[in-house]
Amino acid sequence: MVLKSLSDLKGIVTGKLPRKLVLAAAQDQHSLGAVIRAWEDRIVEPILVGDKEVIQNICYENGYNFTGLRIIHEPDTEMAVEMSVKMLSSKQADILMKGKVGTSVLLKCALNKDWGLRTGNLLSHIALFEVDTYHKLIAVTDVAMNIAPNLKDKIAIVNNSVSFLNRLGYVMPKVAVLGAVEMVNENMEATLDAALLSKMNQRDQIKNCIIDGPLAFDNAVSLESAQHKGIKSEVAGDTDLLLMPDIEVGNVLYKSLVFFAKAKVASIILGAQVPIVLTSRSDSEQAKYDSILLSAAASK
Amino acid sequence: MIRSLDQMVEKVHSLNRKQRIAVSWAQDANTISAIHKAVSYGFAEGILIGNVSEIRNICKKTGIDPDLFSLFHADNDVAASEEAVRLTVNGFADIVMKGLVGTDKFLRAVMDKKKGLMLPNAVLSYVCALEVPSYHKLLFITDPAVIPVPTLEQKVIMAEYAIEMAGRFGIKKPKIALISASEKPGKHFQSSADYEVMCRKAKNGEISECIMDGPLDIFLACDKKSVEIKGFDTPVNGDADILLFPTLESSNPFYKGLMLFAHGELAGLIRGTIKPVIVMSRSESEKSKFYCIALACLMA
Repeated sequence: MVLKSLSDLKGIVTGKLPRKLVLAAAQDQHSLGAVIRAWEDRIVEPILVGDKEVIQNICYENGYNFTGLRIIHEPDTEMAVEMSVKMLSSKQADILMKGKVGTSVLLKCALNKDWGLRTGNLLSHIALFEVDTYHKLIAVTDVAMNIAPNLKDKIAIVNNSVSFLNRLGYVMPKVAVLGAVEMVNENMEATLDAALLSKMNQRDQIKNCIIDGPLAFDNAVSLESAQHKGIKSEVAGDTDLLLMPDIEVGNVLYKSLVFFAKAKVASIILGAQVPIVLTSRSDSEQAKYDSILLSAAASK
Repeated sequence: MIRSLDQMVEKVHSLNRKQRIAVSWAQDANTISAIHKAVSYGFAEGILIGNVSEIRNICKKTGIDPDLFSLFHADNDVAASEEAVRLTVNGFADIVMKGLVGTDKFLRAVMDKKKGLMLPNAVLSYVCALEVPSYHKLLFITDPAVIPVPTLEQKVIMAEYAIEMAGRFGIKKPKIALISASEKPGKHFQSSADYEVMCRKAKNGEISECIMDGPLDIFLACDKKSVEIKGFDTPVNGDADILLFPTLESSNPFYKGLMLFAHGELAGLIRGTIKPVIVMSRSESEKSKFYCIALACLMA
């Protein structure tokens, strides 16, 4: 199966029981708005952990109906985050979402050795973009979490992403490893890593996907461009997942797709025991809602 | 001030000058038709070097009169490149352009220390003007094609080239955003330290007149709304004229993403040479190829 738009994710969650989502430090208007919408659409069953009075005030001010909503009062932010993480590690809920708390605080808690959400895997970020100029959704990793992944990290990132896409119904997702050029260039480390990843895929060291790289951005997403250059590749022009060489590349691409190409985006953190919704202040409420939808679709 | 690539073409037209363009290994239908368009607009003359009978055949097939051009025979791609460069060095041509020859072979002729077109000790780099419907003016970017990981000195020169080009477009004091994944300088990013030095140099007047700030992410560089939401204080203020990228890996997918997903067009040119040098990717659109020629005529 291939997803054409973010709203296709609804098809995956329809008919399933709403997933339990814990919003850590829930006193944040944008996150609350998105969570309550997802609750009304029966995508998630939220548990709000945070300052009850502030949460209720935000709901009143914005006209959110919170009758029947479960709120656990904990005014201290760090305590609220710790409590949230513990609810997930003790399997009382399915999804963790960041509210009004810094990313570093949330991740520190999530990675706690004794009661955190570690699996032994690297954590990585994945973003799904809907652009009207591409024929399906395109997933991009890692644009937010790993700064300069080495080959070992890249393998972990691909594995995280592929098993996530498999869960969404992609049987053999097509993975393009991005380079500035499509030839292996010994001076560009990203192209060497790309070649190794492709070979490891052929040898079944990385499974359940088709990897090709290095591919330049145009070859990865446009068959015409690839044909112009005479590139023979199963992935070229039909990429499901783009692996970025580093965060500078990923971040620039992510923001240019959102700003210049008016892309819709949903994103989550993979590699923990549960999906983590970790959107930033500048993400729209729609992006937050779509990210919740994505986490519900990915939740086991 | 020139705000679009079509306005740039008009400007070139209004200069009432004819630039003679020497094309190396010219028997390529795309190249000939782009040159033909420039000749018909009246601002270029074509000197086509290559296999003359093939050039005539292509002209016949595409309905172009071969006698509009001066045709010179060359035995192979290397000889054609050397001849194109020689004609330009000796003043028989004003601009040199790559045809069907590989970029590396072509640039070898351009960069030849004795017979080439390099300014002494010059840095070869690429500047490109992008037009995207979702941005309110042209956006100059550097360097999406030549220098993989620029040093501080190279970044300063890249900025100078871009400022010079923006000047030809009537932009007096361009706003330059030094791009990174985040606006927070960090030791993870090599570029942060360079950017700090560059901003100081710009302030001290050691760089041509401009308004420079960085590190900035794409949002803060190009989107006023993001600047407001973040309450971030930057003189670039979401209104950048020039984006300077930390690596080729980040700039290359940026411009290709804009071309393919955001309906962009471009005009780009190599800088650091005595006369303009046009190198276009085979996968560039017909329109962009024509814009590249017009840009070279503007800069000549």
